[in-house]
Amino acid sequence: MSYLNIENLVTSFPVRGQGFFSKKIPDVKIINNVSLNIKKGEVLGLVGESGCGKSTLGRSLLRLVPVKSGKILFNNDDLMNKNYSELSKLRPQLQMIFQDPYASLDPRMTIYDTLAEPLLFHNIVPKSELDEEINRLMNLVGLAPRYIKKYPHEFSGGQRQRIAIARALALRPEFIIADEPVSALDVSIQSQIINLLLDLKKKLNLTILFISHDLSVVRFICDRIAVMYLGKIVEIAPSKELFENPIHPYTQALLSAIPLPDPRKEKNRERILLQGEPPSHLNPPSGCAFSPRCHKKKDASCGTRTPSLVQTSDTRWVSDCACCEQR
Amino acid sequence: MTNNNEILLQVDNLKTYFHTRTGCFRAVNGVSFHVRKGETLGIVGESGSGKSVSQYSLLKLIPQPPGKIESGTAFFDGTDLLSADEKTLRGIRGKRISMIFQDPMTCLNPYLKIGDQIIEPLLIHHNYNKEEARKKAIEALKQVGMTSPEKRMKGYPHELSGGMRQRVMIAMALITEPELLIADEPTTALDVTVQAQILDLIKKLQKEKNTAVIFITHDLGVIAGVADRVMVMYAGEIVEEGLTEEIFYSACHPYTRALLKSIPANAQVGDELFSIDGLPPNLSHKITGCSFNPRCTEKVNDDKNLDFPTLTEITKSHRVANCACALRNVSEIERNS
Amino acid sequence: MSTENETMEEGTSLWKDAFRRLKKNKISMLGFYALAFLIIIAIITPLIAPYSYEAQDLNLGATPPSWKHWFGTDSFGRDLLTRVMYGARISLMVGFIATAVSLAIGVLWGTIAGFIGGKTDTIMMRIVDVLYSVPFILLVIVLMVVVDTKSPVTNLLLMFFAIGAVEWLTMARIVRGQVLNIRKQEFIEACFSMGISKKQIILRHLIPNVLGPIIVYSTLTVPSVMLLEAFLSFLGLGVQAPMSSWGLLINSGVEKMEEYPWLLIFPGLTFSLTLFSLNFLGDGLRDALDPKSSAD
Repeated sequence: MSYLNIENLVTSFPVRGQGFFSKKIPDVKIINNVSLNIKKGEVLGLVGESGCGKSTLGRSLLRLVPVKSGKILFNNDDLMNKNYSELSKLRPQLQMIFQDPYASLDPRMTIYDTLAEPLLFHNIVPKSELDEEINRLMNLVGLAPRYIKKYPHEFSGGQRQRIAIARALALRPEFIIADEPVSALDVSIQSQIINLLLDLKKKLNLTILFISHDLSVVRFICDRIAVMYLGKIVEIAPSKELFENPIHPYTQALLSAIPLPDPRKEKNRERILLQGEPPSHLNPPSGCAFSPRCHKKKDASCGTRTPSLVQTSDTRWVSDCACCEQR
Repeated sequence: MTNNNEILLQVDNLKTYFHTRTGCFRAVNGVSFHVRKGETLGIVGESGSGKSVSQYSLLKLIPQPPGKIESGTAFFDGTDLLSADEKTLRGIRGKRISMIFQDPMTCLNPYLKIGDQIIEPLLIHHNYNKEEARKKAIEALKQVGMTSPEKRMKGYPHELSGGMRQRVMIAMALITEPELLIADEPTTALDVTVQAQILDLIKKLQKEKNTAVIFITHDLGVIAGVADRVMVMYAGEIVEEGLTEEIFYSACHPYTRALLKSIPANAQVGDELFSIDGLPPNLSHKITGCSFNPRCTEKVNDDKNLDFPTLTEITKSHRVANCACALRNVSEIERNS
Repeated sequence: MSTENETMEEGTSLWKDAFRRLKKNKISMLGFYALAFLIIIAIITPLIAPYSYEAQDLNLGATPPSWKHWFGTDSFGRDLLTRVMYGARISLMVGFIATAVSLAIGVLWGTIAGFIGGKTDTIMMRIVDVLYSVPFILLVIVLMVVVDTKSPVTNLLLMFFAIGAVEWLTMARIVRGQVLNIRKQEFIEACFSMGISKKQIILRHLIPNVLGPIIVYSTLTVPSVMLLEAFLSFLGLGVQAPMSSWGLLINSGVEKMEEYPWLLIFPGLTFSLTLFSLNFLGDGLRDALDPKSSAD
């Protein structure tokens, strides 16, 4: 049953062109007509390379960036129709964990104040229970409550990320968008945080949109994965299925590029090496955006026809381009 | 694949400490290793392990103060880099030993054209004139896979993407045909498809020119693909060293084993991901005994008063710090093989 | 789970850290103590001044420094030390109050422009640009012509107005720049994502984080304001005799410089001392509050 439904979302920004006298390019599409369903209780991974728009998609869902058109249906309630204060009331249910643990906490507030702020603003608990609730949150994310009077700069990256998670959970949300939550952390700390997220998901019955560029993390933590390229979703499949049988050429190249920590396999594998550079939103290729780099380029229609995402089975969505034939 | 070429770089007992207001940080605490001609040595470790500082020390690129190379030798073709004077070092840096860094944007001068930056090492080290240097630079850009190199020469760094800038860095580093290339996390900031391209490029060029490479990274997957030998560092020391296959398939030190176990790629979906509890130690505190002890899950006795573990040989190519846990693992592996 | 038994560990805020760094800076602390000394003297002047600031002794005339008159007397026989002390009251008061006023207007203007952005920002900052281009002297002359400059109270008020009209402009620009910087940070985005009201974001998050440069700039504005006051008093707008401000004293001292040098030296030295103290303190504050050298 769909829980969060995105229909034909378009997010665009005006961008100043190069040069001193150039005009503003009024409409650069970062999210180019994206539709997506997220089921209650699932962890949906959103992968893609830098600049593809996955972070912007996450922010668009919470309307932290201006969305141009489309629908964001949360429990059948269209978030696009809400004004600032109506949206504000709904926000406790949709929370976000940000990427950079060094920038997502106010450096001048103690942890206590940082956690208390959302609790007090939305009246989650009465003032008399505030201390108790904050201790509960700290324990939930594995931090000792005796540190609550400290400031963000006195903690390590992993600890700060735990605090950010505690803050996101303070409003008791059902839905969490995790925007590259472990990318800025060391390997051994990454695994601590990943375990924490999985643990919390089970305990609190969360639905998570997990945005990342690290496919091995995504494979481990996500139920389904959506692959994004230049503002469009090109493939969606359950985790295991995607890794065993990637259909879209970009997904195939992406999976082929992941370095395996296994010397024998790694040194002997056949790799798909993409040519050229990731494209820019300012100058998108015509037709299929991936066609200039595609190793499977079938015919001339790749450069003229823009493919759309279609459902090809119970569990799979793929672009309907000529290269994405089912095996 | 053991390389039997002659040793190009031999480092012995390198110690680099940082003397700051809050204490003396022993960033590199007695590190010894070697690199042979044409081989790739991978150095793996997390932040604070000393992997970058140890290599920067070789070329005296650490700020002194507060850093200080307390002791050690680093013999490169008969010259001790650590005690050489600035003039000798300048003749080696950029000419015989080159370096590429993680963030190409901060390593390329944003105010100079690409062309001017690439020909600079040639003008300084090889006495080329500008015309010859230009031709060589265009050739170098072609070799690193840049399209329309003549046009690129006249452009500026900010016009290029991350992957392209890294290619320029590689071109700059290899244009003087150095014997040793030190690559400090060169692909960490790049997308995974671009990373694959760059790694492939480095491997290809290395084979062509028979350059030795020291490849520093925290990504074990990358190491598995590029390195002939691997050195694992923790808290300023080497805890294990060996051929890539030895490290990945018969790791002995608890830290190496824990690191391998905690990679998501090695985990089974559905199980809990193995994680190493706690944090790396504070390098300003004097550590008695094994530095990994507080976080080690394999330890039997909690006796912190063990002597400092030292590196001992298990096979001709495989060395490990001889703590009780590692030695236990060694005998287990020998029993099973 | 119980926290009553565990002792809370106190944190070191960035302010505490900055204050500790400031205390180590000897010159800045010297400036701080000198300033504190002057302010205290100025406050208790009515209690400790040896004479009244207008008590004249025409028979005495101008005399050089002596045990009776530590700073000497002016042509009217008025004790210079007393006049300098009363002058401190006026000058320091003008300095701090006018700065506070320009701070209030500048911070409000800059925060709104920086936070809202877009057309509002453009319009607001263009207004600042236009006002910047108005020559200060022109404004003063117009004021002098238009307003009755006889009453001392209106004079003082007009002076506040003229100074305030000038100083808030740069403050607004600085604040706006800082706000633009902070606004892009993720912790502000996090506040939006939690549904926190814009007002609370500005008051609780934005302003405390832009406070650093504002404080520094304020300590450097005070001396600038005091110089402006001296200038205005010289022109006849502002403090009038028999009230004294350092500006007036220096002005009359300059006139009689060759004959009675002490009439210039003492007010000049005191004024300079104050300016130096404020500048050293401001310098030290800027270094202490610089986030790049903070505990990270």
